[in-house]
Amino acid sequence: MDATTAEAAAVTWRLARRPDGWITRLFDYKPFLIGLCLAPAIGLLVVFLTYPLGLGFWLALTNSTIGQRGHFVGLANFISVLDDPVFQLSVFNTIFYTAAATVGKFGLGLWLALLLNHHLPFKSFLRAIVLLPWIVPTVLSAIVWWWMYSPQFSIISYILVNVLHLRSTYINFLGSAWPARWSLVVANTWRGIPFVAIITLAGLQTIPPSLYEAALLDGASSWQRFRFITVPLLLPILSVALTLSTLFTFSDFQLVYAITDGGPFNTTQIMATLAYQVAIPGSELGQGAAIAIAMIPFLVALTAINYFGLARRKWQQGPANE
Amino acid sequence: MDRLTRRQSLLLGAGALGMASLNGRRAFAAAMEAGVPVADVKPPSFALEKGATLKVLRPAKFIDPDEAWFRANTKKFTEQTGVQVELDFISWEQLRPQTAVTANTGAGPDIIVGWSADPQIYASKLVDLTDVGEYLGAKYGGWFDLAALYGTRWGSGGKQWVAIPLGGGTGPAVYRISWVKEAGYDAIPNDLNEFLTLVQKLKKIGHPAGWALGHAVGDANGYADWLMWSHGAYAIDEHGKVAIDSQEMINALNYCKELYPNLISGTTSWNDASNNQAFAAGEISLTFNGVSIYYVLKNAKDKRLNEIAADTNNVLPPYGLSQGHSPLSALVINAMLFQHSKFPNAAKDYIRFMMEAPQYGPWLSDCYGYWSNPLKAYSEMAFWNGDPKIAAYKEGMNTPYYDGYKGPISANSSALAANYILVDMFAKVATGNASAKDAAAFAARQAERYYKA
Amino acid sequence: MSEAAAGDELLSWDSRARRVVTVYVPLALFVIVLLFPFYWMTITAFKPDSEMEDYAHHSPFWISSPTLHNFNVLLFHTQFPRWMLITISVAVGTTILSIFCSVLAAYAIERLRFSGSTQVALAIYLAYLVPPTILFIPLATMVVQFGLYNSPISLILTYPTFLIPFCTWLLIGYFKSIPYELEECALIDGASRWQILRRIVLPLSVPGLISAGIFAFTLSWNEFIYALAFIQSTGNKTVPVAVLTELVTGDVYQWGALMAGALLGSVPVALFYSLFAEYYVSSLTGAVKE
Repeated sequence: MDATTAEAAAVTWRLARRPDGWITRLFDYKPFLIGLCLAPAIGLLVVFLTYPLGLGFWLALTNSTIGQRGHFVGLANFISVLDDPVFQLSVFNTIFYTAAATVGKFGLGLWLALLLNHHLPFKSFLRAIVLLPWIVPTVLSAIVWWWMYSPQFSIISYILVNVLHLRSTYINFLGSAWPARWSLVVANTWRGIPFVAIITLAGLQTIPPSLYEAALLDGASSWQRFRFITVPLLLPILSVALTLSTLFTFSDFQLVYAITDGGPFNTTQIMATLAYQVAIPGSELGQGAAIAIAMIPFLVALTAINYFGLARRKWQQGPANE
Repeated sequence: MDRLTRRQSLLLGAGALGMASLNGRRAFAAAMEAGVPVADVKPPSFALEKGATLKVLRPAKFIDPDEAWFRANTKKFTEQTGVQVELDFISWEQLRPQTAVTANTGAGPDIIVGWSADPQIYASKLVDLTDVGEYLGAKYGGWFDLAALYGTRWGSGGKQWVAIPLGGGTGPAVYRISWVKEAGYDAIPNDLNEFLTLVQKLKKIGHPAGWALGHAVGDANGYADWLMWSHGAYAIDEHGKVAIDSQEMINALNYCKELYPNLISGTTSWNDASNNQAFAAGEISLTFNGVSIYYVLKNAKDKRLNEIAADTNNVLPPYGLSQGHSPLSALVINAMLFQHSKFPNAAKDYIRFMMEAPQYGPWLSDCYGYWSNPLKAYSEMAFWNGDPKIAAYKEGMNTPYYDGYKGPISANSSALAANYILVDMFAKVATGNASAKDAAAFAARQAERYYKA
Repeated sequence: MSEAAAGDELLSWDSRARRVVTVYVPLALFVIVLLFPFYWMTITAFKPDSEMEDYAHHSPFWISSPTLHNFNVLLFHTQFPRWMLITISVAVGTTILSIFCSVLAAYAIERLRFSGSTQVALAIYLAYLVPPTILFIPLATMVVQFGLYNSPISLILTYPTFLIPFCTWLLIGYFKSIPYELEECALIDGASRWQILRRIVLPLSVPGLISAGIFAFTLSWNEFIYALAFIQSTGNKTVPVAVLTELVTGDVYQWGALMAGALLGSVPVALFYSLFAEYYVSSLTGAVKE
């Protein structure tokens, strides 16, 4: 819409102007208006986010079970959870899962973005279809991954054994600790690559070509151009993407729940799936809440690392401070 | 897999065709009753409340006839008594949380057909069903051990009924007759060493056995229970104390470790569906499972699968050191009547009605071993012997073993299974990730976390 | 975009062969790996039972005799159409509610400017960093208390908590790009704030509204853990949860139907997204840029 249409609209108002009633005046009273506008969003967030967050802390301090309000037990749940080797293992698994998948997603995602940034036929089509893994409901693609990781019917094994003849036996993807962990990392990476690639691609396209031209004239190598132009200019956008990506990977649930459900012997149990297992099938709401709450320090630390490290510059310039 | 069950459903299901077949079967039902030896006992008379309506919740069907007959029987009850019944089915993993919520909020269905230990956990919220339990027991040749364990209040000496068990799902040994023969055995041996030799030989002839040791709530827990009980080990003692760390358990763990390298690869990642799939594909020769493997193969419209069914048998797994009973339990469903029900008499009559031969008989027979009967008389029904291959399932509830055996039945024993304490212990030892001693000590500590609470 | 491409070409010094090796081959590999699971999902959905696990007699990569049997089972012998309907209603309801709240909040923060608006904006953004996995346990107890257990309304009320923060930030960005002069003119002309919002700000932010809408729709379509924890009866489930929990009878997986369900459950979002792919990309990048 351009200025003329807006002006035309303004004319309509002048014609439609009515005498001010008290309602009109109330609605033009700014503090009231601000309150009214913020009420739905803030209301929903307070009732369904802030309050449950507080309730989560409270539940973690009680011995509640499903359907039964427990009584206050102090830090007993936290002490018992911290003492639980399965919980300790789940912390390790979660950190490994987050770190490995993040490295994978960002490494491959950046590469894909650089590839897509070339002059290509069907570029927008390509860009649209590579986003599919990110769009499709995670649990549905997780089922497919589970089927592809099957010890007896894996299509991946079939390709390696019967087509390429690289192996003689089918791979036991999910049957022991490290292969199972890596299998989950691969599935998570697969889902996350498009997110990183598309964001990076958008960032790449905001870099003025003149910068590259100037560098080329100065005799910069392609690596130097990447290192001194592309990377610094991408950093702000990447750092925010990194924050979101690490937070969501850390708190992932569906992929692990659908593919291994924490097995074999809890070697792929992550904090979110453990919290679910203890709280819902195991009925121990208090213990489950304590496990969920134990994720918070990690989430805060991840955000802080991103904020004080990479993202600082960008966040300080953020729109909020303008 | 279930595509096969699905095809079957076209014959038996709730569709138009299915209803027609149900009507036909209704006439048959009376004849069916004849096969059930019935004592002449006068039913308790319940004064039905005026305008009574009931809400009933049960777990989702195994196979279509399960739901079709349950609905048809319920409809028959409404026709005969005028009591409207709203019947709802929910998925298995959500039944337990829903039972907990109903019990503790005092709102929701009048009757929940819930899982094994739940009547004990919520006993204080339930209407006493001793009249129904005693009547049914007297009329139908008495209750099997497992039914009395779950249905009567713990410590009442099997006298005070808090729920009426409807059936149990059990998982005996399922094997390929020809391959076991090829390995040199005419039947599954009852001795554990012989059984190990069989498994080793099966591997040698290229048709290994396989049992789930992943986070598979049914199959993996069933296998772990068998390993434990067949070696005389148990998780909990009579006083409710954790007894995992015992010499018998270490023997069981070592036995599991010896079995494991002879199994098909990948069993530590198997879920409940994996062995069905591997068996149907001819990848494994022996496993423990419900009747679903056999049922699906037998009813498939695929000759190859029918041939596998003809070569398949279901028998009780090796007894080992267990005296007199195969060390096998069952997943039991119990009808619980909540005190918040406004129409307890109508509800009691409904439960009684559903358990009587004209209704229960066709439901049981069409479920074809998916459910094992809790009342002894129903083991005499013709269909059990019509196909001797499913005879093992009629013994499903004839067992003294239960989750958390030998301790009191409580919420804790359910937590053991839900958190895979025993399964993970066996899996760790089998794969060489822990010694038997360490794994047992570790599992004992984990179990104590729940038994302390 | 054309500028970048032109610049790219100008800078290109690679020989054609080199370009094939460094660009086309890796790109092709990426596309194959990223899309293979969908190929596998699709092909399994059309396979008859006899071919599903029998790799010895049938190449797993192709179908000898394709069948619609699995779709028939899914559509006429399960409650799939109902799950679809529930999912659509939940996604649409959530989207409308979230956009409504976000528009108002973003308008107040960006256009009504008040002391503390920065803090409010930051607080809303922080809400985005609280993942559902730490909230589902207390929320489950709340949902039971409110009597919303097993009701799709519980999902419509809880999903906005992870949508409002993102949508609000996205819209703040769009609102910011509207010149203040327009609004001031309108105010002088006697337009009320509501009229300004309706006739100036919203029409000028249509792309932002679409982006936010698509984002909200896809995310609520994909949500899993709340739907798993709050909904219990078969008839009220959403597609992602129902496919995982309902297409299994006891221990028998209906693989064909499962894959058909995964396929049909993915198609609407994929379709919806492909119609608005550009907006989706801009919503992703837009919010990250903010």
